[in-house]
Amino acid sequence: MTIEQMIESGALRLFEGGVIDGSVDTSLPLIALNAKRLNAKVAEGLSVRLVVAYTESCQSVVEIDIAQGASVEIVEVYLADSYANITINQAEDSQCKTLSALLSSSNATYTYQLNGRNASNTFDGLFIAIGADHATLNLTTRHLVSDCASRSLIKGVSADRATGEFHGLVYVAPDAQRTDAQQQNRNIELDNSHIVALPQLEIYADDVRCSHGSTVGYSDAEAIFYMRQRGISEADARRLQIEGFVQDVVSRCNVEPVCCLVAEAVTDKLSKI
Amino acid sequence: MLKVENLHASVGDKEILRGINLEVKAGEVHAIMGPNGSGKSTLASVLAGNEKFTVTAGEVTFMGENLLELPIEERARKGLFLGFQYPVEIPGVSMANFMKIAVNEKRKYEGLEPLTAAEFLRLMREKSAVVELDSKLTARAVNEGFSGGEKKKNEIFQMAMLEPKLSILDETDSGLDIDALRIVATGVTRLKTAENATVVITHYQRLLDYIVPDFVHVLYKGRIIYSGDKSLALKLEKEGYDWLINDYKE
Amino acid sequence: MKENNNDIITSLESKEYEYGFTTDIETETLPKGLNEGIVRAISEKKGEPEWMMEYRLKAFRHWQTMSLPTWAHLDIPDIDFQDIIYYAEPKPKKKLGSMDEVDPELKRTFDKLGIPLEEQMALAGVAVDAVMDSVSVKTTFRETLAEKGIIFCSISEAIREYPELVRKYLGSVVSYADNFYSALNAAVFSDGSFCYIPKGVRCPMELSTYFRINAKGTGQFERTLIVADEGSYVSYLEGCTAPQRDENQLHAAVVEIVVENNAEVKYSTVQNWYPGDKEGKGGVYNFVTKRGLCRENARLSWTQVETGSAITWKYPSCVLAGDNSVGEFYSVAMTNNYQQADTGTKMIHLGRNTRSRIVSKGISAGRSQNSYRGLVKIAPKAENARNYSQCDSLLIGDKCGAHTFPHIDCRNKTAMLEHEATTSKISEDQLFYCNQRGISTEDAVGLIVNGYAKEVLAKLPMEFAVEAQKLLAISLEGSVG
Repeated sequence: MTIEQMIESGALRLFEGGVIDGSVDTSLPLIALNAKRLNAKVAEGLSVRLVVAYTESCQSVVEIDIAQGASVEIVEVYLADSYANITINQAEDSQCKTLSALLSSSNATYTYQLNGRNASNTFDGLFIAIGADHATLNLTTRHLVSDCASRSLIKGVSADRATGEFHGLVYVAPDAQRTDAQQQNRNIELDNSHIVALPQLEIYADDVRCSHGSTVGYSDAEAIFYMRQRGISEADARRLQIEGFVQDVVSRCNVEPVCCLVAEAVTDKLSKI
Repeated sequence: MLKVENLHASVGDKEILRGINLEVKAGEVHAIMGPNGSGKSTLASVLAGNEKFTVTAGEVTFMGENLLELPIEERARKGLFLGFQYPVEIPGVSMANFMKIAVNEKRKYEGLEPLTAAEFLRLMREKSAVVELDSKLTARAVNEGFSGGEKKKNEIFQMAMLEPKLSILDETDSGLDIDALRIVATGVTRLKTAENATVVITHYQRLLDYIVPDFVHVLYKGRIIYSGDKSLALKLEKEGYDWLINDYKE
Repeated sequence: MKENNNDIITSLESKEYEYGFTTDIETETLPKGLNEGIVRAISEKKGEPEWMMEYRLKAFRHWQTMSLPTWAHLDIPDIDFQDIIYYAEPKPKKKLGSMDEVDPELKRTFDKLGIPLEEQMALAGVAVDAVMDSVSVKTTFRETLAEKGIIFCSISEAIREYPELVRKYLGSVVSYADNFYSALNAAVFSDGSFCYIPKGVRCPMELSTYFRINAKGTGQFERTLIVADEGSYVSYLEGCTAPQRDENQLHAAVVEIVVENNAEVKYSTVQNWYPGDKEGKGGVYNFVTKRGLCRENARLSWTQVETGSAITWKYPSCVLAGDNSVGEFYSVAMTNNYQQADTGTKMIHLGRNTRSRIVSKGISAGRSQNSYRGLVKIAPKAENARNYSQCDSLLIGDKCGAHTFPHIDCRNKTAMLEHEATTSKISEDQLFYCNQRGISTEDAVGLIVNGYAKEVLAKLPMEFAVEAQKLLAISLEGSVG
């Protein structure tokens, strides 16, 4: 099912921005499709699922304010080459969980501002750059007050002549004590492609637990041997391994029916390697 | 079925196998024993085609073909199965998907149609019963988060799925408690037929209580220095290796 | 417990800079400012050949077209490059024949620094090329080294005595056009060290240069060139101190290292230039370009302990051009009060099977800012390149900053690169544990910091490691109880 079909069948509710409060039916996931500008305010204590999809080339600015105690689950999927700038402001006790899949030559910049204490933020990102793609995922997580937590996992695959870039920054403001911020970035580079990774930390408070890690390439000889010993061809073994590599990001999607679509789109994209 | 003649293999500059001779016929069970570092696991790896090792001399025929010329997966499809001492975790690759590809590749090699999804699931259910493998595990990624015992059961489960002609079980008993050992060992015994053969690499006699060998070989410093029947394993258990290897110590 | 520690952290006074004294000896200086005339004058004073003067002038002309780099995480006050004396030379009373003839004032300076310049040095097995205010004063152990064919002298002397070697290698690793400060250095460098280890020779002793900025208002622009010919080995030590002054002093050095096939160079630095006072007044601005070129199977290891300078801008790097070459960078950078450091490394993998390892330990205290900045670059032809980077930051107090800016750029699919970074503070549990065993908080912090830096300190030659450990403790005083 395509996104359009999901909207038509009533599985997703079109959303063009504005305040999301008790008057809005949030039983279904909301969807912003190829939106050039999306401003949303999620009212106190609400739970919202939001899908932001790009099926045609688009330049987009998204800004979402999440009020105290509200929780938002966002799935962003880039099926067409797009340029997007996403800013999300989180108030006290709010939660935001994002899954972002760049499956095209796209550039996405995410800025999370944790403005209220005890805000929690989870980001799972994936970029797959094939052919002449140039996919760039920028992620800035700004811990502006104390006692917030953020977790991010970004996986990248590049193949052919493509370039994949990850630019990450965890910023911890002065006095944002007891910040717990962890960021992991893993990349696989194939063929003659190019991976750039800049996972950065900028920290101005001392009572913090911050870490990041970034890898390019991984040791696969043993797993490949294992699979071949079971009769699987080397090419299949490598394909399986890459599918497995992105699987944990894909499997964190929690907004049906879009997750199936994301999983299919990922498999489809990987089949072009 | 398998004939190994004067096999030499090394990793880097270090020679590990220094002239192995071994013949395994259909219906037989062989046990290979020996102290740590004698080359037991290397022999298993070399027969399976692990590219980490270089064969420097010798010949191996398997089902009448030169085994050493075949790529890893073809050896497997021909019916050579290696039960790994340390099964590898493959994150994100589900057991079901993994096995489905493996089984159907083998069928393709044998000129058979691939199994349908329903047939495959039935086969999975049937075979997982052989080693009492929790069916939930087959929904997980390959070996990921499996306990030591589950990994070893999973190896025997895969052996059951692939129905190999020759199974080489590399220390399948290590790290197993007594219950898991019994389950794994009876699983292996149940898969035994007159047409297939098993080579068991082990440190301990206790596995051989379940899988009774026709031949026991002692591997030391890359050579088989002694062969006997199942009583040899009992003698080794009691007396250790010293009486055998003294002559070979440098 | 916690409040108690914070009290101690905030209440203690800064430890005064131990090496803050000036030596009262006559110096000969050129007028302030920089123009072609000054560049020519420097070259003439040093009696340099025409090609060297031309090189300086080219560099100067290029420098004029360049602007100050601003990408570092540093707050650099405006520097008036025309308000700096580019050349100061201690005026020798007469030509020096032996150790006894060295200016007693100068000797006292070295004694205060603890440089073992005299006879006991033989026992210590250290040859020192002491650079004071830009001109090499005295080189020891030349004869011992000469027997092995090792050349170890000032760069000025090398330009005169071994022009073909200098001409071949100078600027071959760090071009004058590389950056603003390398251009400035190439134009005005006053002295520095030159070292050549012939083919197959293992240098029998640690070679050491001790730099010290002395004259008021002078910039120091050393130039170091080390060439390790095929199959040779040398361990080179560099120590730096500067007297205490209120105004900021500029230091822009260039170190170039050529590591030929199968050769190995270890370069260790302990830098404790004057960091400024606890209000952030004064201190050295340290803008250094250090880079080595590794040929086949060559190995270059940088180890640095950076505790001084008001501003540090420094990225000792390895260009791994030859197959199977290895680059290493081990760093402890400590900042206190208002110090700022932006330091790290670049590992440029060009050859096959090249390997690099980065271990960086940052320690920030007071109101300081401490950044690790690193680049790991894998070129398309660098098959099977490997890098492992570990960058840890330790924060002491809540007014400082610790930052990590790694850059990974990979163009070969067979590469395996791994970067990890953590940021933490000294745990209350650790302090409590030490306190409970009767160890004061101050000592406990010293212990913990030294333990934290141990992996790097262990890479230093023995006599340096001891000094570095003391420095870490001294530099921290006043930041914690």
